[in-house]
Amino acid sequence: MTQAYFLEVYNLRKLFRAGRPGIFSRKARYVHAVDGIDLNLKRGEVLALVGESGCGKSTLALTLMGLEKPTDGKIIFDGEEITHADDRTCKRLRQRIQMIFQDPYESLNPTQTIEEIVAEPLVVHGLERSAKTRQARVVKALEDAGLKPADTYLRRFPHELSGGQRQRVVIAGALVLEPNLLLADEPVSMLDVSIRAEILNLLADLRKTRQISIIFITHDLGTVGYFADRIAVMYLGRIVEVGPTKEILKNPQHPYTKALLSVIPVPNPRLRRERVILQGETPNPIDLPSGCRFHPRCPKVSEECKVSDPAWREPAPGHRVACLKV
Amino acid sequence: MAVQTTELKPSVPSSPLLDFWRVFSRNRMALVGLVMLVAIFVGAVFASQLAPYDVTTSENITINDIYNPPSSTHWLGTDDAGKDVLSNFFFGARVSLIVGFFAAFISVVIGGVLGIVAGFYGGRVENLLMRFTDIMLVIPDLPLMVVIVALTKPSLLNIIFVIGLLGWTTTSRIVRSQTLAVKSRKFVLRARAIGAGNSHIIRHHILPLVMPLLVVNAILVISLAILDESTLSFLGLGDPTALSWGQMLNFAFGRGAMSAGAWWALVVPGFGIVWVVLSLTLLGHGLEQVLNPRLETHHLTPGRPVIRSEIPWRQETKKGEAPILLDVRDLSINYITEGKPPARAVEKVSFQLHEGELMGLVGESGCGKTTLMLALLRLLPAAGQIVGGGAYFTDKELTAMSEAEIADVRWKGISIIFQGAMNALNPVRTVSDQIAEAIIKHSPPIPRSQLDARVVELLDLVGIAAQHKDHYPHQYSGGMRQRAMIAMALACNPQVVIADEPTTALDVMIQAQILELLDNLRRKLGLSIIFVTHDLGVVAEMCDSVLVMYGGVTAEYGDVDTIYNAACHPYTQELLKAFPDLSNPEKRLASIPGYPPRLEALPAGCRFAPRCPAAFARCASEQPALHSLGEDHFASCHLVEASP
Repeated sequence: MTQAYFLEVYNLRKLFRAGRPGIFSRKARYVHAVDGIDLNLKRGEVLALVGESGCGKSTLALTLMGLEKPTDGKIIFDGEEITHADDRTCKRLRQRIQMIFQDPYESLNPTQTIEEIVAEPLVVHGLERSAKTRQARVVKALEDAGLKPADTYLRRFPHELSGGQRQRVVIAGALVLEPNLLLADEPVSMLDVSIRAEILNLLADLRKTRQISIIFITHDLGTVGYFADRIAVMYLGRIVEVGPTKEILKNPQHPYTKALLSVIPVPNPRLRRERVILQGETPNPIDLPSGCRFHPRCPKVSEECKVSDPAWREPAPGHRVACLKV
Repeated sequence: MAVQTTELKPSVPSSPLLDFWRVFSRNRMALVGLVMLVAIFVGAVFASQLAPYDVTTSENITINDIYNPPSSTHWLGTDDAGKDVLSNFFFGARVSLIVGFFAAFISVVIGGVLGIVAGFYGGRVENLLMRFTDIMLVIPDLPLMVVIVALTKPSLLNIIFVIGLLGWTTTSRIVRSQTLAVKSRKFVLRARAIGAGNSHIIRHHILPLVMPLLVVNAILVISLAILDESTLSFLGLGDPTALSWGQMLNFAFGRGAMSAGAWWALVVPGFGIVWVVLSLTLLGHGLEQVLNPRLETHHLTPGRPVIRSEIPWRQETKKGEAPILLDVRDLSINYITEGKPPARAVEKVSFQLHEGELMGLVGESGCGKTTLMLALLRLLPAAGQIVGGGAYFTDKELTAMSEAEIADVRWKGISIIFQGAMNALNPVRTVSDQIAEAIIKHSPPIPRSQLDARVVELLDLVGIAAQHKDHYPHQYSGGMRQRAMIAMALACNPQVVIADEPTTALDVMIQAQILELLDNLRRKLGLSIIFVTHDLGVVAEMCDSVLVMYGGVTAEYGDVDTIYNAACHPYTQELLKAFPDLSNPEKRLASIPGYPPRLEALPAGCRFAPRCPAAFARCASEQPALHSLGEDHFASCHLVEASP
């Protein structure tokens, strides 16, 4: 039997305790960071996970990485259930699932050279014990990440590189293990616009040439249109709309998705248009709103939304949305 | 995909040690400390050669030799046993330094290990270790040392161990807090993500970053250990077979040097102790500056006033146009570092800001946009200097004002919303308090009730409800903090507000909220705004004019429609192409290859030439001038020269 999906996630939940229960209150309070997520991903597919800060998208990534233990739910990676993997399985899995972090200024150790940084995963996993073959792999990873010629970079320190170059080093460090799944957490949001396009194109190329599956986490719908196959929009720990990229961009159904799309800056003053600016910010995920979680900020809210939690509807094949108004 | 690496020199084997020495040798204080320390070390190591007399034997000493004053035979006199004080000094240095260094070694190892373990593992381990440290801290060291040394045999080894075992508490506390700080940094998370275990993370990520602190701390621990040893010996608890400076003091003091007037017997060992402690303190202080260079530089010091520019103030405006508020003409700013050619951060930038105008200042990081804005307020870092041109605010020349005059313009005339709202707010004071401070600082005294009303009014203006006014910054979300920063900038009714990347770290939705707010404020209060950003998309929807900077020079300057729809400079054109176009998502994203130039390695010709798709031979050798392309549209490119 061939596997339909490379990564499957069922009803994943991750709660954090919000402080200890007090002397007088027995009831512990929880932060519902990830609160019932279903996801799937095919080999070589790019899924964009879009949402504002505080929606739980980074916690979801850390849970998929095994860096946070899920409270509930199931994660199946390449046919193997890894929800509660032990340390050894985790270590083995990390060769196949890698992560790119948001801030290229913070995610590199300033005291290590570029070579040490990129070689570190090999050292940790005991691969390529000979210095020569190890360096060859480092050079290849750097060149794959677009840092050519690689030997001009090997002995440099992170502070000698620009933001875009550093992010390429981070990507090289993730590539050196030849992973199958890449979790990219806002990989371009700290970079200048002129550099962003290069990094996005690099990721798109990697997916094409290596069949790497990518989960691309971002708060900006504008950057994902180019290479994501599907978009999942997250709000307060849940996915509210998911579907093929074109479908979501051309025919968004959820009021939240519509609002997110409307505020993408358009670099042309002649196209000044009506924007749906949601007021307030993502509510605190400790005291969740009743009914539909989005109702306090929703421009189309009705009484019904305040009481019933919307179920999935499917306006088009593969396009699912959780809103009562659809 | 090939990436241009033209600005990279071939990789020179850069040695961190060599770099360290280069910076270290420039620090005079550290250097003096080091020389002093080396001198006393040489004295101790070669004590047998340097000492004029052998102090280990008491042969040939008579009663007449006791407490002889300094003379040609005994340069520093003799002590109570008739021995040469200078010789005692050298041999005493040996013992004092041995005790100091070995005891400090023990302390630093214990403190370092406990601190790292406590900081790294946290939880119960940390609780246990830190409470133990607290208990050790409250026990008075000296009496305990005295008791332990008195109870054990007073040998050199015992003294080393007692001092070492009691002196680690401060080290462990400092190391723990540094470990906590390093542990929370993203590269540790990254190491975990690649599968690294705890021991790997401690060895490769925590230790290298704790080490500098540990070294500085070790130096201070050494001097404390030397003082401890001297105290113990002075109290008569030293090893009687090993003469140290403390012991010299003890003998001199106990055996009547004071009454005999033999000051040399007391001053010489005292001098030794002061010498070593002073050298260690200087070295430690200097090292701290070398290892933590940010302590010294990066102050925002008011720039020195420059010579009045020759350009007169131009008042004329075209008919129907709002008056000019800010007129910047050919402003050039250099960063001056000793021993290096000046870095030309901003070169000949001009623009005019009219009343009620919103100008976008667009450029990549390092293009000089923030430098330019800080120069207008004369808040450049110490190394930054205005070297040419001028800037007028209404009819006053900003660049030629005295410190008192410019202080009057800041906030009341021109105010600034700084980048990074979290860092720009003081975490231990309430938001209303900080806004009130901005009002008080810049205006005549007003009664408390009026002040409160004004704070509420300002918060209301930026959309923060009055009930949140007495909250602390950490209770605010990112968007609210940015709103509070805007309220603060508006505190004294400025005419011009500079917003330096006010939305960069914010989500798109919050970004849209802030942009809407600024646009509303502009209409409501008639503000002129300079919106500094690296994102062309952000400013398109609300700006009147746009100034695009590249590598410190104006690339293109014009009204918003011209910039977005009829851009002439290849850089502006490429930037616009690099934008994701949602109406056509199948298209490959255009990118500008390469990276912006570094200030210390600017290209000889056009600064954009190495990345420019339209560059030709002339671009590499000649810097293009700013050409006028019709009314209020300028571009600096050789390609547009021919245009009318």
